Amino acid sequence: MQNTVAAYLSLLRMSSVYFHIGKYFLLMVSTFTKPEKRKIYWKLIIQEVDKIGLQSLGIVALLSLFMGAVVTLQTAANIESGWIPRWTIGYTTRQTMILEFSSTIVCLILSGKVGGNIASEIGTMRITEQIDAMEIMGINSASYLILPKIVAALFIFPFMVILSMFIGISAGAFVGYTTGVISLNDFEYGLQYDFEMWQVSYSLIKVFFFAFIITSVSAFHGFYTSGGPREVGASSTRAVVYSMVLILVANYILTQLLLL
Amino acid sequence: MLKNVSVEFHPGKVNFIIGRSGSGKSVLTKCIVGLMEVDKGEIFFDHRNFTVLDRWDRKDIRQEMGMLFQGSALFSSLNVEENILFPLQMFSSMSKSEMLDRVNVCLKRVNLEGKNKLYPSELSGGMQKRTGIARAIAMNPRYLFCDEPNSGLDPQTAIVIDNLIREITYEFKSTTVVISHDMNSVLETGDHINFIYQGELSWRGNKHEILHSENEALNNFVFPSKFMQQIREKLRG
Repeated sequence: MQNTVAAYLSLLRMSSVYFHIGKYFLLMVSTFTKPEKRKIYWKLIIQEVDKIGLQSLGIVALLSLFMGAVVTLQTAANIESGWIPRWTIGYTTRQTMILEFSSTIVCLILSGKVGGNIASEIGTMRITEQIDAMEIMGINSASYLILPKIVAALFIFPFMVILSMFIGISAGAFVGYTTGVISLNDFEYGLQYDFEMWQVSYSLIKVFFFAFIITSVSAFHGFYTSGGPREVGASSTRAVVYSMVLILVANYILTQLLLL
Repeated sequence: MLKNVSVEFHPGKVNFIIGRSGSGKSVLTKCIVGLMEVDKGEIFFDHRNFTVLDRWDRKDIRQEMGMLFQGSALFSSLNVEENILFPLQMFSSMSKSEMLDRVNVCLKRVNLEGKNKLYPSELSGGMQKRTGIARAIAMNPRYLFCDEPNSGLDPQTAIVIDNLIREITYEFKSTTVVISHDMNSVLETGDHINFIYQGELSWRGNKHEILHSENEALNNFVFPSKFMQQIREKLRG
């Protein structure tokens, strides 16, 4: 009897998962249908580029600055053996920033800032009937609210990641030089050593996927909020958690597909 | 939730849907405007079957609708002018100056001239409702829906909103559907009244007939207290 109940509950949970996945894809179909007036959408995309991207530049720059510096110092602290050349510090800083930090970690942080913001904004619009008002006017609310956010994120996130790489590596070089752990020449040699442009491309490809995950998953949770302010908070939390988990899963899959 | 409800709303008149909380009047309205899908039955807008249309074909009918929401549902990131401009920008082929003229006409109609640049958070409840009405009439709607237009308003402001809805209905000759609990509004402005009880249309009539109705559920709803029953007796007499 217990086994039957457990099996039934697990089936119910699975069907609920499929239900939400289906709902997500249906929302995406609605989102990517032809916009009502393209001119208005362009304006919205520009606003979103500012809101999603430019207003997050500060946090991205700050994080990259300190991470680049810390990676340099930690690598230096761990290279005690005379057999390992000092330029390894520059090499490690570059690899860490390009391969993982600037793409994955920055996007994980952005999923908290941008994703939470998107979910709470759309969720509040849902509970205050603003989305219903749009629907009654004949506007495709999913497309109007979500599409500009996705397009803006796909456009601006790669630039932010490139900026993060630049700031992180520069901060590493600066801290390495000023603390005396490495000379600029050695750091530069390490930066150039065995450099493959493909690694930057790999990082940028990942960012496209992460940008889509952050905006679409957060918008999905916000769009289907029901209830009151408490539920908006819960949607926002769910948006961040699901985005982060999906980013980590996607990171693993993409790394396996692109690097190996 | 709703069972065998068959209602006809009259053009150029204020049609009320009344009923207790949870009776199904909001569900009925959401079904009519297409925010909820019906399991069975049909909804017609001037002989156009709304229920069989897909999202894109519904768009034409929806552009003929205006709706005033219970909480006004103004776009909080837009000011009064932008809120009213919104449907015009999306669907009209007017020039910018024509749109602004239209906005000012609508604002004048609801006595909110000069409030163009205020944001919803800077408006009182009554002003928010009037902005909601201005946005709803921006596209000259054939069908105007008002969900509890007086909720949260003081009696005097409620009367202002009632009068505005009635005047606009007669002026635009729109088919107006109002959901309300406010019996003062119902008896003051209701041309046609539909009473929903436990998901069914229990009674229909006008504001004069409501006084003489023998429908027990209706009488308990409209005249719940001894005082109200005494008023009814006086009015009947």
